[in-house]
Amino acid sequence: MIIAPEIVARTQFAFTVSFHIIFPTISIGLASFLAIVEGLWLKTKDQIFLQIYKFWLSIFAMAFGVGVVTGIVLSFEFGLGFAKFAQMAGPAIGPMIALEVLTSFFLEAGFLGIMLFGLNRVGPRLHYLATCMVALGTLMSASWILSANSWMQTPDGVQVQGGRVVVINWLHVIVNPSWLYRLPHMLMAAYLTASFLVAGVGAWYLLRGKHLQFARKTVAMGTAFATILIVVQVFLGDILYGTMLKYQPSKMQAAEGFWDKESQSPAPYYWIIVPDQENQRNKVAVGMPWLGSIWLTHSLNGRVEGLSNTPRDQQPLMGMVFYAFRIMYGIAILMFAVGIATIWHRLRGTLFTSRPFLHVLVWMSPCGVIATLAGWYVAETGRQPWVIYGILRTADAVSPVPGRAFLATLIGFVCAYTMFMAAFLYFALRIVRRGPTEISIHAEASGSLKNALRPHVIDNPELARR
Amino acid sequence: MELPLLTASFAALALVFYVVLDGFDLGVGILLFFRSEQASRDHMVDSITPTWDGNETWLIMAGVSLFAAFPIAYAILMPAFYLPIILMLLGLGLRGVSFEFRIQMKSHRRCWDYVFACGSVIAAFMQGAIVGGLLQGVEVRDLHFAGSVFDAFRPLPLLCGLAVAAGYCVLGAGWLFLKSNQLLLRFAVRILRIATCSFVSVFFVACLAAVRVQPAISAAWASHYLPLSIVSALFVVLAIFLGSTSADTPPLRPLLAGTGLFLLGIAGIVVIIYPNIIPFQLTLWDAAASSASQKFVLIGVACVAPVVLVYSSYAYWVFRGRTPAKGWSE
Repeated sequence: MIIAPEIVARTQFAFTVSFHIIFPTISIGLASFLAIVEGLWLKTKDQIFLQIYKFWLSIFAMAFGVGVVTGIVLSFEFGLGFAKFAQMAGPAIGPMIALEVLTSFFLEAGFLGIMLFGLNRVGPRLHYLATCMVALGTLMSASWILSANSWMQTPDGVQVQGGRVVVINWLHVIVNPSWLYRLPHMLMAAYLTASFLVAGVGAWYLLRGKHLQFARKTVAMGTAFATILIVVQVFLGDILYGTMLKYQPSKMQAAEGFWDKESQSPAPYYWIIVPDQENQRNKVAVGMPWLGSIWLTHSLNGRVEGLSNTPRDQQPLMGMVFYAFRIMYGIAILMFAVGIATIWHRLRGTLFTSRPFLHVLVWMSPCGVIATLAGWYVAETGRQPWVIYGILRTADAVSPVPGRAFLATLIGFVCAYTMFMAAFLYFALRIVRRGPTEISIHAEASGSLKNALRPHVIDNPELARR
Repeated sequence: MELPLLTASFAALALVFYVVLDGFDLGVGILLFFRSEQASRDHMVDSITPTWDGNETWLIMAGVSLFAAFPIAYAILMPAFYLPIILMLLGLGLRGVSFEFRIQMKSHRRCWDYVFACGSVIAAFMQGAIVGGLLQGVEVRDLHFAGSVFDAFRPLPLLCGLAVAAGYCVLGAGWLFLKSNQLLLRFAVRILRIATCSFVSVFFVACLAAVRVQPAISAAWASHYLPLSIVSALFVVLAIFLGSTSADTPPLRPLLAGTGLFLLGIAGIVVIIYPNIIPFQLTLWDAAASSASQKFVLIGVACVAPVVLVYSSYAYWVFRGRTPAKGWSE
């Protein structure tokens, strides 16, 4: 049997990168959350914050661990699966990722050990510094990798010479046209993910009448963050939409589900389509009338551009882009509704007692992860058939490796990653089930602040514990 | 133009850091196979838990430096070592998640310990296989890999895989000698002797095999007779020292001597393949990215790497001394 290397190589990359992004999304969000919580603990000396910190730290540690090992794979996979991409784009992408490793991976790794195991050895203040450094590392990492990916979406600052990219202007490569909008969009996504996780777990305890103090604090924090963030996110998403419409029209054309050069006026907003790429039409299209014009053109009777504006050999597959976009957008609407409900319950003082609302929070806890994944599917499948938009086609980037080898390793990855995910979910859910009181609290807030400034006590556990 | 030489030196330095630092991590992982009591295995893993992540980051640094500064070489080597690299990555992955998952288990922790040990063996062996494959030679046509994905599993790479796995055991035992409590001290001494013997003998056979299969290596011996002889002599001296470790040896010495063995091995390889980046095929200058990319990486390295070294050393300093009996967070 002949297996087309291109298909399997792409499947393998899609699988490994999709799996990977789940964990950084969680750890970027949780790292900042942990920094806030530890700051509150140091400021108020309220033990509940230390309890929240310890609880979420144990889940953060696992997410971070899985994120690290699945991330190492990616830094080699550019060359393993897509050697011709690596050869062509290495001069632009490579240095950015090298700087990512230097400025963020080492920062995270260097301070993670102290964050996880060092509270008694360095004292609360230096420990807080370590938490902040890990959080900063996750943010810088996101910044570099979004820069590299955005360059693939909207390449700038380079010339192609002899089949290779030569950088003319680094500033234009790094601050390429879409990076400035995509980075905050991703960061908000990570923060929303963490907010809904934190609120969801708290709501689950409230529904069971357990760990009430912990649960109230985390539900209050999670919903408050989520309410603010979703407003910012909708705003950012709208700006990004406009930017991508300008630089990568084919992606947004595919995302809206219209084929004709111009849609009817007023345009509906499609929710369900069965696209027929072959004949450049939809077999089925169900939508809400008028809404397309209003949302997409910000007018009552505006027309929306369809995918046939893009030459056929440069079109992405509409179905993938459309449904990924609908999932992301649909979840954003749900999140917005939760934000409104939060304000409503806050004003009425029923945030911790409304059981329907708490049930919604529990069900919404994984929604940030799903929306983020869907968003990345819009970005990546919408860029096809290009790997570097307008410069290199994905089909021309594949390594000279036989399809069978790709298939064998893909099976290996699926087996290993399935085990990682099963173990992660099993242990994370077990931590949640056992509750925050099972997590031992090692350090006392009162009095030990001084110890951090006196290094000799670190060597003396008796003193340090005092 | 000396830029490629500078970036190559940095990539090589990152690789040296990786081999030295993650070498003992992987070694400790492999040695888990040889301890049946849970308490000992917990203690061994505890000794590397706070710092393993930073150690592994040097591998990414080395790989990404190659990608950034020598994309042509990167694009040839990744497909050439497709299978061993992916197996290594899977091994490292199994090992990495075991750190987090094993502490969640009370009763069946043993299972994760075996996953941990297997991952360590696979990763160590594959790293050796990659080195062996490089020495044997990579088939290149028009700046693309033109060989078979199984080239990395010929006899020489397999021998090198064994050698590196045994060598990492030496480093791992050296680490335990420095960091573990009294109970494991005698274990570390025993392993130091056995692993050094195995490492040196496999390494010797691999050297002979390498000279046989790759004529360019004998040519390199002929033209660099003096430096290679000095490296070999020092190697033998250190190996004898390691083989005679006893419980009274100062704690840091075996680890340093083991590290010395690896440094000498790497130095020998560098002398043999320089100025090529893909041995006997492509020089550093042929494979380099344009100078804009080289400069960007070098400026980044010059500004950030010193800071990285400072706080990474600090992270080691925080967890200095012998590993506490109940782990670091007590």
